[in-house]
Amino acid sequence: MSGVSAIYKKELANYFNAPIAYFIIAVFLLGTGYFFIYNMFMTGSASLEITLQNMGILLITVVPAITMRLFSSEYSSKTIELLMTLPIRPWEIVVGKFLGAASIFLLMTLATTINLIPLFLYGNPDLLATVSGYLGFILLGLACIAIGELFSSLTQNQIIAALLTWPVLLGFWFVGHFKVFQQTGFLRSFSDYLSFTGHYANFIQGLVRSESVVFFLATISIALILNTSYLKGRR
Amino acid sequence: MISLENVSKRYGSKEIIHNVSFNVNKGEIVGFLGPNGAGKTTTMRMIAGFTAATSGRVMIAGHDMADQNYEAAKKIGYLPEHPPLYDVLTVRSYLKFCAEAKHIAKARIPSELDRVMQACQLDAVVNREVFKLSKGYRQRVGLAQAILGDPEVLLLDEPTAGLDPGQIQETREVIRSFGENHAVLLSTHILPEVTLICKRIAIINDGRILAVDSPESLQSAVAQSNKVTITAIADKDELKKTLVAIDGVTDAMVSEPSQNTGVVKAVCHVAAEGRIESKIAKEIATRFELLGLEKEQPNLENVFLRYVGKN
Repeated sequence: MSGVSAIYKKELANYFNAPIAYFIIAVFLLGTGYFFIYNMFMTGSASLEITLQNMGILLITVVPAITMRLFSSEYSSKTIELLMTLPIRPWEIVVGKFLGAASIFLLMTLATTINLIPLFLYGNPDLLATVSGYLGFILLGLACIAIGELFSSLTQNQIIAALLTWPVLLGFWFVGHFKVFQQTGFLRSFSDYLSFTGHYANFIQGLVRSESVVFFLATISIALILNTSYLKGRR
Repeated sequence: MISLENVSKRYGSKEIIHNVSFNVNKGEIVGFLGPNGAGKTTTMRMIAGFTAATSGRVMIAGHDMADQNYEAAKKIGYLPEHPPLYDVLTVRSYLKFCAEAKHIAKARIPSELDRVMQACQLDAVVNREVFKLSKGYRQRVGLAQAILGDPEVLLLDEPTAGLDPGQIQETREVIRSFGENHAVLLSTHILPEVTLICKRIAIINDGRILAVDSPESLQSAVAQSNKVTITAIADKDELKKTLVAIDGVTDAMVSEPSQNTGVVKAVCHVAAEGRIESKIAKEIATRFELLGLEKEQPNLENVFLRYVGKN
């Protein structure tokens, strides 16, 4: 485990010693703030439902910028040679990096909760729906980060890593819409099951379904396991 | 400590390392010598565990690299060809990361960092970010990382590349003192470096080990092309005639006399055996004024060129 914590601390230092983390957080907060204000004044109802929906799609555009450097920069600066020859196991590298990127994301998420202050001060929102909505947002974000990390390990070019991650995340976001074109029941429920939007919508409505929790946790695990075995195979 | 048995590496259908075998023992610095592209870096990477050997066995302190590379990694300090540094970290935080990753006990880390930073003369740049460092400093931060935790095996891929002469000497001292009770494999193409600090030399070319021996015995193996240089005050043609008459001298070239001193310089090709230089000295001294005589030893460069087949 000491390998995980060494990698984790290094990742955090890397994020905060470069402007990128601040920039990403600023862009995300700016976007979230805009959606929040717009939705409040448009609907006039004290609910985060639409705002969380908007934050989800914003997240999908922002995550690749967080994850693209995770492995790509190790390849291009040849530091991968250090990581792979230090007494650290490949899974420790993958998990340490995942936690590093996840911390940036959680920090970002935490900062958006400032919106809850006026919401609860001047309105009467559903507390449970807000909490479950945020839980869903966090699970969604972690799944996107695990996928982004996997694609970052495939190329030494950060831009390509980001360009590979975007369509995949968007695919998971929109795959639910394909169900209207499917004739067979199996394909309908399958594309429904794969859909980030479908599972996330449950959380936003205040439904914490074990099926959806398992879906996000499984996505994270599969991505991290694939990532680890890819690293091992590179030797 | 380091042992390679019939190690080969293949990328696709192309085999780039062919059946390499050699050992590095404790308390020994072995120089790994070869032209660019000979396979030095690939071999180093296999020993360090960055790439796996296609066939054969790499053993580090009794651990097989194929399935115990985690245990083996604890014994290895490795400086790759490009020092693996994180640009945005400071020298101290970079070394701290390496120390933690090497499982050095938390209480020992500060003293261990001080030790390596002193050994590699990094005191002036401790809190500077890596991207602001000169090439020489980057190289030394890489070396400091490698000797962190006092590993039993040290692998250095061209450790003195990019250093100025003063730094080269200091780095050499670090390596030499380290080699007294560790196993060190040092790859380089700088020949004098090898003669100065290495006990043995492994010469590699085209992915094959051509020779593994001490610098002295490698030199004596190619001692056929000896030359003797003479400086004397003499008539040019007379000197040449005398020289070729000596038994054992195969050829002699005499320069034009220097205008104000009349000194001439002669280069004789001589047979390797026998003490031919004393015979030449006696013969010349009786007839001319002999100022100097020097026997040219085959240097490592000749040895190297002979083995890699360019001579």
